[in-house]
Amino acid sequence: MKNSSFLWLLAVAVVLGTFSGCAGQSKQAAQDPSPSPALQSNATANEAETTDSLSAEEEALFEDDTNTWDTEESQEIALVSDPIEPFNRTMFYLNDKLYTWVLRPVSLGYRKVTPETVRVGISNFFTNLTTPIRFTNCLLQGKGRAATAEISKFIFNSTFGVLGFGDLFEDYPEMNPDREDLGQTLGSYGIGDGFYIVWPLLGASTLRDSFGLAGDTFLNPITYVDSTEAGLAARGVNTVNMLTFRIEDIDAAKKAAFDPYEANRNFYIQSRRSKINK
Amino acid sequence: MALKYRALILGILFLLVAQAPAEPKMMRPMETLQGPIDQIIAILNDPSYKGAEKRSLQREKIWAIARPVFNFDEISRRAVGNTWSDFTMDEKTRFTAVFSQFLGSTYIDKLQGEFNSEQIDFDKELVKGSKALVRTRLRRKNLEIPIDYRMHQVDGDWKIYDILVENGVSLVKNYRVQFTSILKGGTPAQLIDRLEKKLDGQNTPASKPK
Repeated sequence: MKNSSFLWLLAVAVVLGTFSGCAGQSKQAAQDPSPSPALQSNATANEAETTDSLSAEEEALFEDDTNTWDTEESQEIALVSDPIEPFNRTMFYLNDKLYTWVLRPVSLGYRKVTPETVRVGISNFFTNLTTPIRFTNCLLQGKGRAATAEISKFIFNSTFGVLGFGDLFEDYPEMNPDREDLGQTLGSYGIGDGFYIVWPLLGASTLRDSFGLAGDTFLNPITYVDSTEAGLAARGVNTVNMLTFRIEDIDAAKKAAFDPYEANRNFYIQSRRSKINK
Repeated sequence: MALKYRALILGILFLLVAQAPAEPKMMRPMETLQGPIDQIIAILNDPSYKGAEKRSLQREKIWAIARPVFNFDEISRRAVGNTWSDFTMDEKTRFTAVFSQFLGSTYIDKLQGEFNSEQIDFDKELVKGSKALVRTRLRRKNLEIPIDYRMHQVDGDWKIYDILVENGVSLVKNYRVQFTSILKGGTPAQLIDRLEKKLDGQNTPASKPK
């Protein structure tokens, strides 16, 4: 039953994607010659423009935050309410230890024995597999173009990309829309954060995003793997594999922070806000 | 007479020609960034800096190029937030000095540690009065990190006063949250102390050969 409803959803997705002209668009994208990758910085300065009309997203990025702290005292510290802070801090501490003692060494070891091409392939595979989450949430937010891109990518990468291990569209920005999830969808409907939660293993979240995460689970094919062990193993591989690309980022972020808990909470909330506003 | 006259005209012409390129040319925000970033990438890719003993030399070179592009006074003021006025002049100077060094050391360290043919795309430059936003993307094999530079004009030069990563996460804001929480339970002097200690702790392991 579960499986059949998932298949049905996929079928609808495929049909919708086709109707919104995905085939035409991806062809266009494929013909468009990509700029040859250079080691140096890509100076596409011809695109440098003095724009009077900014997009809403750019307007938000432009918006200075001086006013927030100049006028309203300590307003922004409460970016998110954190009534269960003692619990969260404990979880943060435990997750950090889990990372330092288990995940980080495992990822480093795995990185040493696994060529980058293989790791990129695995990461592509899982990204491709979770298309239903992103596609559905694009639709729920009325983002037709992004939905089209997601489903076209899914079709081409699952077939010509060999089960999604290859990504035929990595050099086409328009084919790589921002990754949507249910937490963002709910946020775009005007539902607030609720409060901040740090889950064991899963990490930073909010009440709203936790509901989002739970909802998205139903769209994640890994949920429908028959054996629990296989499902967990798949998640484990995905996590460790993803980490291999970010260990240095995480290390640097930890080094750069004075209060890692505060820094992490603020990073999470800022990043979620900007994603929801997009 | 006629010869003298001609010499004078030639002289004036010469002066004009010689002076034309020297005239201060207004750099656009993106140009202001591109030059130094290209220079830094060249230093990072330069094989003559390979080896642990060349690391600090390389770091100094990078810092010398990067430093003038940032407005650390503004970054410090913003990172502290509304309690900045509680700082004495001396504390402001000390804080700015140590915080800029801390930022430089932390981020150059990271660049040195793992810069492997990352690619930076300069996407867009948006200007609004004396403020600008330069949108770039750091591209790795499997990952793309949008980095936006908030810049403003100081005496005609564009300087960075905040960096936004991942489409809108402000680094300055992130530090402000942390500093505010430290300042709630402590004095500016204690905050500066803590910064200095952290900076020391960072420099020690980095300078040791691994």
